[in-house]
Amino acid sequence: MIPRLLLFAPALVAASALAADTTVTPPEAVDLSKFPAASVEEVVVPVPSEIFIVLDKLGSPNWKNELPENEGQSTGNRAQVALLLGAVIADGFIAVQAQDSERVKDIGQHVLTLADAINVRKAVLARSKSITEKADAKKWPEVRREFDGALQDVRGAMEELGDRDLAQLVSVGGWVRGTQALTSVVSKNYSADGAELLNQPHILDHFIRQMDDLENPRLKKEPLVARVRKLLASLRPLIARASAAAPNQDTVKKINRLTGDTVSAITTGEG
Amino acid sequence: MKTQSSRRRLSGSGFCALALVLGFLALAPSHATVDDALSFAYEAAAPYVKQGFTVREDAWGGDLGVKDQKAVTAQLFRGNEYWFWTGTDVRNAVVSVSIYDSTGKLVQSEAWQRGRFSGARVTPQRSGTYYAIVTIHKSPAERTHWALVYGYR
Repeated sequence: MIPRLLLFAPALVAASALAADTTVTPPEAVDLSKFPAASVEEVVVPVPSEIFIVLDKLGSPNWKNELPENEGQSTGNRAQVALLLGAVIADGFIAVQAQDSERVKDIGQHVLTLADAINVRKAVLARSKSITEKADAKKWPEVRREFDGALQDVRGAMEELGDRDLAQLVSVGGWVRGTQALTSVVSKNYSADGAELLNQPHILDHFIRQMDDLENPRLKKEPLVARVRKLLASLRPLIARASAAAPNQDTVKKINRLTGDTVSAITTGEG
Repeated sequence: MKTQSSRRRLSGSGFCALALVLGFLALAPSHATVDDALSFAYEAAAPYVKQGFTVREDAWGGDLGVKDQKAVTAQLFRGNEYWFWTGTDVRNAVVSVSIYDSTGKLVQSEAWQRGRFSGARVTPQRSGTYYAIVTIHKSPAERTHWALVYGYR
């Protein structure tokens, strides 16, 4: 559905441009500690490609090498499917970086299959078709946007079904897989600039809180979920604070090993 | 400060709808389901897509009183260039967005504000946490709907 106001949007923009501008000069500094907590939104979780395109600028990663032989399969366990769905969407972003049309299309289908397993197929059906069409046309920025949209649609559909917990697992699964890919690329050709991309303490704290706050006690006790929670806790000392330097090569490798082990557990379902 | 705000999900419409609407005016339905403020935020973002920016499907919005502010926490990466855009559906309202780093220092390299639309550009000097602060400067309404989106390249 399209808002009626959009029909007049070009005219509105023009009218606004002609209107007298209100001078808005933001302060050079603000005291964020005095900002009411209720007025601060949770951290925006970046999509993997926000990181991957920086790596492209720093060098020429072989993205095809970062793609797994297969993205794993559903065991039927809903927590595993949700984590895997996030990880597979992250694989989609990697396949876009690799500009691998066939792999992108396969991943688009896999997303659909996994979404079906947790009753949100309808939410991503159009996305899956669009991913296929745009991958065939090699419209990479648009494919990237479709994967971003698929992630949001899956999360939204789960929340509408009252499955906020699963929605969180999708996000965490995507972040873990994205971090594994990031550390793999950086450890193969270490640079402080690349390693600095791991400076994500708020994101990590956000996920730790989300996992601690899972509402479903049974889900919380799932071995795979417990394993992911343990991973996040173990990463916390390794992910730099805002004022800290970029992690060194050993730390990057350690993060890669930890995330890689967990991704293996997610893709096989062996918590 | 009474504030309602939420992360908004775009169910396959949002930016795509904006792109489509210009080509399918005659087919547009007569009733709206997508938040109008969000439509205006995407309208502000539209010209930047031609410059290579990928606009996120994730979006944020809510309603604020005059002079009220909302801070959206964002993880940004050095090496990328970002634009944040806001929009409101309230005619004659003035909304802006400004970008601060984790120490509270203004870091945007460029910004504009035109009535119900605004934008701010930032090229982070380091990867980390940043804050996009949305402010309603004036409005004829007691509560003003706003929406925030961002793009990167």
